Amino acid sequence: MIRQYRQPLTLIAGYCLIASLLTTTAFAQLVCLPAPRLLTTKPMGGQVGTSFDVKITGQNLDKSDKLSFSHPGISAKQKLGKDGQPVPYTYEVTIAKDCPKGIHEARVLTRLGVSSTRVFNVGELPEAIQSKANTSLETAMKLDLNSICNAVMTRQKIDFYTFEANKGQRIIVDCAAKGIDSKLNPVVIIADEKGMDLQVERRGGMLDFEVPETGKYVIKLHGLTYDGGPYHFYRLAIRDVAKGEVVSRQPAIQAVNAFSWPPVGLTGKTIRPESEPNNQHAQAQKITLPCDITGSFYPAADVDTFEFTAKKGEVWWVEVASERLGRPTDPSIVVQYVSGEASKETLTDVVELSDIATPIKVSSNGYSYDGPPYNAGSSDIIGKVEIKQDGVHRLQLRDLFGGTRNDPKNIYRLIIRKAEPDFALVGWALHMNLRNGDRSAYSKPIALRAGATMPIEVVVVRRDGFTGEIDLFMDNLPEGVSAAGLRIPKGKTRGIMLISSEANAPRGLTSAAFFGRATINGKLVTRPCRMASMQWPIRDASGEVPSPRLLVDVPVSVSNSELAPITIAPAEKKVWEVTAGEKLTIPLVHARRSEFSGANITLKTYGDGFERVPAFDAPLTKDSSQAVLDLAVLKTAPGDYQISFYGYAVVKYRENLEAVASAKTALMQAQQEAEALTAEAKKLADVAKTAPDAQRVNANTAAKEAAKKAKSAEAIVATSDKQLKSATARSKPKDIVDIIVSTPITIRVNPAKKAK
Amino acid sequence: MTTLHTAYSSRLFFLRVLNSLVVLLVFSGMTSGAEDTRSVSFVNDVVPVLTKAGCNMGICHAKAGGGQNGFQLSLLGFEPLEDYESVVKEGHGRRLFPSVPTKSLFLTKASGETPHGGGVKLPRNSEGYRLIRKWIEEGATYSTGKEPTLVSVQVEPKRGLINMGEEQKLKAIAKYSDGSIRDVTKLALYESNISAMAEASEDGVVKVNDIPGKVAVMVRYQGKIAVFTAAVPLGAPVTKVPASKNFIDKYVFANLKELGIPPSSVCDDATFLRRVTLDLCGRFPTEEEAAAFQASTDKNKRDQVVESLLRSPNYADYFASKWVPLLKNRRDATADITSNFAFHAWIRDSLLANVPYDQMVRELLGATGTVVGNPPVAWYKRVKDPKEQLEDIAQLFLGVRMQCAQCHHHPFERWSQDDYYSLSAFFSQIGRKPTGTRGEDLIFHKRGLAQAKNVKSGMMLKPAALGDNVGEISPDEDPRLRLGNWMSSKENPFFAKALVNRYWKHFFKRALIEPEDDIRDTNPPTNPELMAALEKQFISSGFDLKQLVKLITQSHAYQLSSMPNEYNLLDRQNYSRFYPRRLQAEVLLDAIDQLAGSSTAFANLPPGTRAISLPDNSYNNSSAFLKVFGRPNSASVCECERIQSSSLAQSLHLINSGDIKAKLATGAGRAAQFAKSESSTEEKVNELYLAAFSRKPRPEELKTALDYLNEPMLDAKGQPIAKKKPTKKDYQDLIWALMNTKEFLFNH
Repeated sequence: MIRQYRQPLTLIAGYCLIASLLTTTAFAQLVCLPAPRLLTTKPMGGQVGTSFDVKITGQNLDKSDKLSFSHPGISAKQKLGKDGQPVPYTYEVTIAKDCPKGIHEARVLTRLGVSSTRVFNVGELPEAIQSKANTSLETAMKLDLNSICNAVMTRQKIDFYTFEANKGQRIIVDCAAKGIDSKLNPVVIIADEKGMDLQVERRGGMLDFEVPETGKYVIKLHGLTYDGGPYHFYRLAIRDVAKGEVVSRQPAIQAVNAFSWPPVGLTGKTIRPESEPNNQHAQAQKITLPCDITGSFYPAADVDTFEFTAKKGEVWWVEVASERLGRPTDPSIVVQYVSGEASKETLTDVVELSDIATPIKVSSNGYSYDGPPYNAGSSDIIGKVEIKQDGVHRLQLRDLFGGTRNDPKNIYRLIIRKAEPDFALVGWALHMNLRNGDRSAYSKPIALRAGATMPIEVVVVRRDGFTGEIDLFMDNLPEGVSAAGLRIPKGKTRGIMLISSEANAPRGLTSAAFFGRATINGKLVTRPCRMASMQWPIRDASGEVPSPRLLVDVPVSVSNSELAPITIAPAEKKVWEVTAGEKLTIPLVHARRSEFSGANITLKTYGDGFERVPAFDAPLTKDSSQAVLDLAVLKTAPGDYQISFYGYAVVKYRENLEAVASAKTALMQAQQEAEALTAEAKKLADVAKTAPDAQRVNANTAAKEAAKKAKSAEAIVATSDKQLKSATARSKPKDIVDIIVSTPITIRVNPAKKAK
Repeated sequence: MTTLHTAYSSRLFFLRVLNSLVVLLVFSGMTSGAEDTRSVSFVNDVVPVLTKAGCNMGICHAKAGGGQNGFQLSLLGFEPLEDYESVVKEGHGRRLFPSVPTKSLFLTKASGETPHGGGVKLPRNSEGYRLIRKWIEEGATYSTGKEPTLVSVQVEPKRGLINMGEEQKLKAIAKYSDGSIRDVTKLALYESNISAMAEASEDGVVKVNDIPGKVAVMVRYQGKIAVFTAAVPLGAPVTKVPASKNFIDKYVFANLKELGIPPSSVCDDATFLRRVTLDLCGRFPTEEEAAAFQASTDKNKRDQVVESLLRSPNYADYFASKWVPLLKNRRDATADITSNFAFHAWIRDSLLANVPYDQMVRELLGATGTVVGNPPVAWYKRVKDPKEQLEDIAQLFLGVRMQCAQCHHHPFERWSQDDYYSLSAFFSQIGRKPTGTRGEDLIFHKRGLAQAKNVKSGMMLKPAALGDNVGEISPDEDPRLRLGNWMSSKENPFFAKALVNRYWKHFFKRALIEPEDDIRDTNPPTNPELMAALEKQFISSGFDLKQLVKLITQSHAYQLSSMPNEYNLLDRQNYSRFYPRRLQAEVLLDAIDQLAGSSTAFANLPPGTRAISLPDNSYNNSSAFLKVFGRPNSASVCECERIQSSSLAQSLHLINSGDIKAKLATGAGRAAQFAKSESSTEEKVNELYLAAFSRKPRPEELKTALDYLNEPMLDAKGQPIAKKKPTKKDYQDLIWALMNTKEFLFNH
């Protein structure tokens, strides 16, 4: 009996051991190869026409030799110390007088290419920098009216500022944080001189304060949850403005879904305001179609009712922008047909419109990573109204979030037009579930290692019934870099842009043009593709909600300090031709530059109609493999296609081997120098010993000098040795799992010859 | 719904036919005229007997989920048709034996002839037994076909004045639809709202005890209710009352005069300052505030200090700590922190800005959007079920407990299941969408017709606010806003009353209606005129909370001494003196820190954050002090979740816990400062008394303190060692002693 139980017990123990090993391995794996990320600049902006020092911090910023900006009006050069040597991570930035005010972006070119970007605001107010702790009333920092202070919040602290103002003055206190990439959810309080709260703003709005008595006032600022740290930076603006003046906020970044606004060619020429009261049907504002209306969801529970006449069979497209204008709203429309007499009218629903659906499923906040962490959909509206009967119709517009909120800043724009088919594109670096439990949402700059192919996921919001296919392009790429768009198929919402670098591409950085092209009503139409990125590299999205945003431009770089771990490419650069219904075998070449954990990579296929190619394994230990595409199964129609194979693999990543080599060289040089100096010192010491009395003083001095130099050289050897050890330690292989994508492959499917 | 409805209708039809047949059969044997020859009605006669005997109480056969031993009756006979089916038809009619009615299980159980878990309920010689036997003899019909329906019940007298220790006999009169009346004194049920003040016997005799005040006795007969209210005077001469500062004084002192309860005198300045600072800001006055107030000769200084405290953010912090647990700002997961901080801050900021109460409630009720964008959305994160939503809203903002009406007609009130589900219909169009934060939805109004299903009748019900018609609500309108309109209308009989009653309790320890969230006809206020005046004032002020607080705290009624005079020690509800109360957990912790010069660190909050500013319940887990002293866990909408009673654990914690010892001994603390300071020992004792009690020590207290502090130390042999000045430990001991006095621990 005992023997019977032994084996299962052993097995269970074995399983447990294996399970624990697997778990350990799984969690030992890191996700995504190191990418340079600019995380903070201090200050976070500046005044036009000024020069000042900017300090940066970030990840993988080795050899960050060039700080650049999205606008040429801002320039930077490496700051040099008094010794003429570069001051690490510090730059002298100059903002030209004619530089446009608003949101710009900074990025730094590093050993691994261009970093992720960070917002850099340009304004016209004088700027100050929080230079020491101001976390008590006693240490409060004095602010001048009409200035901006750049500061960083400390965890579990409150920052204190003071300002002086006269009775009756209107003071605006505006803290930019989320709008400039900060992690801070700011709470801003205006208090009296003793620090007693007078007015509080916790929802990211600005404080509009009428000064009750001439004197000193205190501004207290902290995080909503008293969070803080270097990533919790803010720009606090304090202005005195005239009463009644419409005050604008500090400029802010745009959410991803803003890419679909405005429609191309939209002008304000025919715009007209809504006119209140128009809450009730009886108060409906009369309009004629088409129309372009601006209004506001104000006051609370506001309903804006518009009345128009239309004829049966007419089709109108309705677009509302409000959330995409940065407002926290959820517009909703009901169009109703009105029949009967005014006193006894009947309303019949024609259509109810709400939300621009996200083009692809967004990752939920559950455990599973079931979509990209980017939502390109919106609570705004793009929808169709099909008129079913001649006559009077009413359109009611509400904010589903506006029942109790009284904020006139919750504006909207309502456009009703005849169909103007069009599209808007946005792309982001592809994310996928790279290991069990992976919920990473890293910011991924387009920083190509030479030999790499980087996939960009592109989605489209289609307007007014446009369903055609969209081709994707990129221009102005660095030398040795090319881009191939896997088109967005007809009626679909997703495509892939592949950006590939030659293995021998020189180091370079450009601001690329990214666009899509489609034929609409017989005309070739080109539209820009906005890029989006995570603001922060988030390791686990279940613990920190990812906050993606639109980028100002599309920086693309290639670096050759490290090469891509592997390049999978077709054996020949050609158009692969195949007859419809037949099989196409594509030999693949693996240019391997790293070791991998695991023998194979499982590859799937991107490309219109080719997603159904069964996944296949390609060896990571061999230099070649092949892909077989069975067009009979895929039922691929004749035509030209671009495809690519993708999967993920665990790279035995060795960080910065270049640094190890140079540290070795440096150590060797230091050792040689030290040896020479030591020998020289010994020699001079011997000379001093035997020197005649008349020369002994000089000889001793020379010997001492030489000994000193030898000692310094030994210290340099010790430092170099330390650096080598550090570089060597960093270069030890680490398991990192990342996306691997083949270079694009062009296929031409020829029509099958008809049987005679 | 159709199926249920159809089934219900078929059943009704069957019963009607059956009843008609039985009625026809019975009719021939009926005699008319005399009471004992009248046909027995199941609804009008049998059910009241069962109710009076207690058969259909919640702990007996009306117990949810099958009653007792398979015999289920509806609670208090609210569903007579179902009861009839249970008695007559269920179990193949085994409960009745028409040929020999006295052998019916229904009677043999009730009379104890057959073993009965509930004991003897209807002895064979009882009137109830005779009535039921007759009913069986007459054919055990549901309806005689011509019995009238009960319209109302009245009690005689409706109100009275009963001296302590005396009795009052009540008479219950039932009125029927045919105009007939019936004395149901023996069948009605009687229940006192304050059993310590008065008890009511089964046959309607009210006996009052020795507590003066107002008491009510509910008279219940078949779902109809009447109330007898009695004034129980103390009868002492009331020769002098403090001057009237506002209408509160007028009504409080008028009531005291009526009852003959002489009020205590107005308290001294030090007591007032400490009391009002604690009640408005949840803290002791600082030594500077106490000294300045004592020194001031301004006649209006009490009014001024109220104004000043109300302007202070401490007021908002403290009252937020009152509302936050009631609004269930509970930390269930780490990710809740943002939501909890935002919601707490919204409450606090609204109070600071003195947002009108009706607007605050409306913003909560109609909250939409995300938590960070609109923090009251956090309430919908914690309270997801529409039933819980209506119950919380009703209890918290209307003082009406609707929970009972979910399953049956409310036993103490007029609320039916229709009322319950009509109220829940206001919450039927709440749309939810997931957000990036797990467990957190954004809330929006989902277009559609608001309605809710009465799960018992299957009827779809439109929104109605406690029986009030709020008009047609279009599918486009958020019904919650209509509920908000109804709540804040000037005519609403619940909304303002619930708030003023709740706030009155905050300042006086006892609400005008107790419990403060159980307002009903059968639980009248102890001072109805005062309640009405407070309501009226609150409504006319535009629901101004600060104005209400100011009125209360500036009244002399609030400022009476807590020291009883020779008459009013027994008074518990007429506010003839201030009723002392133990400091709340957070206030006490802050007070100890303030006295000891120590501080308590709270996770995620800046150093120096006071316990009354804590945003949620999570800090109870890390603070034994808060737990022991009963800080609520934000799980209930009832203020009773806060434990205000005393316990041995509390005493031990104050006397001997490491927590308190550490506070006394802290290097930056008051004892350490005193030991280093060059000021005189007497000055230090004065400062300590000001800090602890907002007053200077009395001569004997000063002497005791100085004697202790100057007491020589003893060496190892027990010999005194001269010391230059008191040590840190001496001061720690003195602070510890003051901290453990009732004067410190209570607001008095």
